Amino acid sequence: MAAGKRLLLGDDQPSIGEALIKAMDMSPADVVFEVRESDIRGRGGAGFPTGIKWNLAGAASGDHKMVICNADEGEPGTFKDRVLIEKMAWKLLEGMTIAGYAIGSSHGIIYLRAEYPYLVPILEKARQDLISQGLLGDDIQGRGFSFNIEIRSGAGAYVCGEETSLIESLEGKRGEPRNKPPFPVNSGYLARPTVVNNVETFAAVPHILLGGAEWYQGLGRDDCSGTKLFSISGDVENPGVYELPMGAALRELLELSGAKDIAAVQVGGASGSTVTPDELDKPMSFSALPPGGSVVVFNSSRDMLDVLENFMEFFVHESCGQCTPCREGNRRLLDIIRSIRAGEIASRDDLKPFFLLADVMKAGSKCGLGQTSPNCFVDIITKFIAFPGDKEGA
Amino acid sequence: MSRTPEEIVRASLEKHGSGREAVMEILTDVNRELGCIPEEAIIATASAVGVSNAEIYSVVSFYSFFSIKPRGRHIVRLCSTISCVMSGSAEVLEAVRDDLGIREGETTSDGRITLETTSCIGLCDQAPAMLVNDEPHTRLTPETARAIIAGLE
Ligand SMILES: Cc1cc2nc3c(=O)[nH]c(=O)nc-3n(C[C@H](O)[C@H](O)[C@H](O)COP(=O)(O)O)c2cc1C
Ligand code: SF4
Repeated sequence: MAAGKRLLLGDDQPSIGEALIKAMDMSPADVVFEVRESDIRGRGGAGFPTGIKWNLAGAASGDHKMVICNADEGEPGTFKDRVLIEKMAWKLLEGMTIAGYAIGSSHGIIYLRAEYPYLVPILEKARQDLISQGLLGDDIQGRGFSFNIEIRSGAGAYVCGEETSLIESLEGKRGEPRNKPPFPVNSGYLARPTVVNNVETFAAVPHILLGGAEWYQGLGRDDCSGTKLFSISGDVENPGVYELPMGAALRELLELSGAKDIAAVQVGGASGSTVTPDELDKPMSFSALPPGGSVVVFNSSRDMLDVLENFMEFFVHESCGQCTPCREGNRRLLDIIRSIRAGEIASRDDLKPFFLLADVMKAGSKCGLGQTSPNCFVDIITKFIAFPGDKEGA
Repeated sequence: MSRTPEEIVRASLEKHGSGREAVMEILTDVNRELGCIPEEAIIATASAVGVSNAEIYSVVSFYSFFSIKPRGRHIVRLCSTISCVMSGSAEVLEAVRDDLGIREGETTSDGRITLETTSCIGLCDQAPAMLVNDEPHTRLTPETARAIIAGLE
């Protein structure tokens, strides 16, 4: 099978610092332009165009602009950022440094989840190596551009992956998402203009600079740009991280990883979508099946109600509790899942109020957690659960 | 002699400054050294940063790695999210509970081990997995998990 070109984790890597030096030969505006033309969209899940974000932060008024790397990777089933840091930490740091040059920032922070303490020495070593090679720190390569990176740890909260919650946490507060606007590009960490990007997004930047926007763009399928890392686990022979063209069909990934007897696939983590074997030809793209970083496979021996209950327990635990639809809604959904398990629900029609609740949560929650947590309820109940009172063929 | 909570906070302030944005670093230092964040540390942090004790308490209570309650010398965090469950984390949990005679959230009476379950720890490709303090342990079976835990001082 033609899996396409592997960039992020391929064997053929550029030499360290090459992309940064190329960037510094360009004007900051040209660097932003190149990233924008590449059409890369954020790899952390939401898929906001990175070049537009950098452009906004670059143009924002305010001193001490910030570049923040979101290494909070908490979406169930996601581990691509861990592997990227284990194998290519330097590339993430170089991508952040290029972002700093592009938006006019001299200060970066990596927010690393508390569950990855063993990555701290790896990041620290990469940082020291770059400093000793004059590729990070003061007056990089004698060009008058300085950039420093701090490594900070979270303390175990999934919601801190949400960028404004992450910023609150860095400011020493509870990780409760902020109202937007203002957006971080205008007022982020300590009210400074701030770019927040995912680990994988930053790691792609050196490749974009070296290969050019058009080349990078062409690596994706259809209207998608670049390559993408997928973490796959569950009922597959070879769980791990795979790099495929953005927009590749789900089926390709399943074949590569040796998935068999597929009954259901969770794409995009607990907050993503649950698909049936009829949907495997869909492309993993922002418009069809937004992939985030996570794909979990379930074979026919799995009870999807168990899966749903596990996801909903996760959301009940991880909701920050700030807004009612999410705090109360996830609990109500968990309660009803347990009633279904106890055989207390005769037919799908009895669940109408809960589908309405799901709509309210999607529309009325403040951040992506509460807006997406009902997805698994709707998908799994609609597609996978049979009720005693269901009509034949319904 | 181990350091008092106040001494840890003071040393941390020197490293990280006394701005509000140093709070997570200070609390992490205390939590790491003492296994929990005692009231004395909350008070010392609040007065150094210039906010109320309640404000710092609310930060501590938000994050699952921080604890007000004293914990054991070792903290075992077993993943309870889907890929680990599908690979048998429930059996591993049961084995560990039986061996230690405690349930999740509890500490052994000799203060040796606190057992917790945790949301996804990003080791789904090597499930089931747990963290013992800062160390990941993967592809667990009830037997290997028991052996790892028996080896903790
Ligand atoms: C509940 C929640 C959790 C999130 N977790 C992460 C995460 O772990 N890592 C990440 O990069 N983005 C996460 N995001 C998305 C971030 O808010 C943000 O969009 C992203 O960091 C921007 O970077 P990108 O454009 O490079 O993807 C999360 C969003 C929500 C709502
Ligand atoms: S949607 Fe949930 S996690 Fe997000 S702010 Fe509201 S309560 Fe907090």
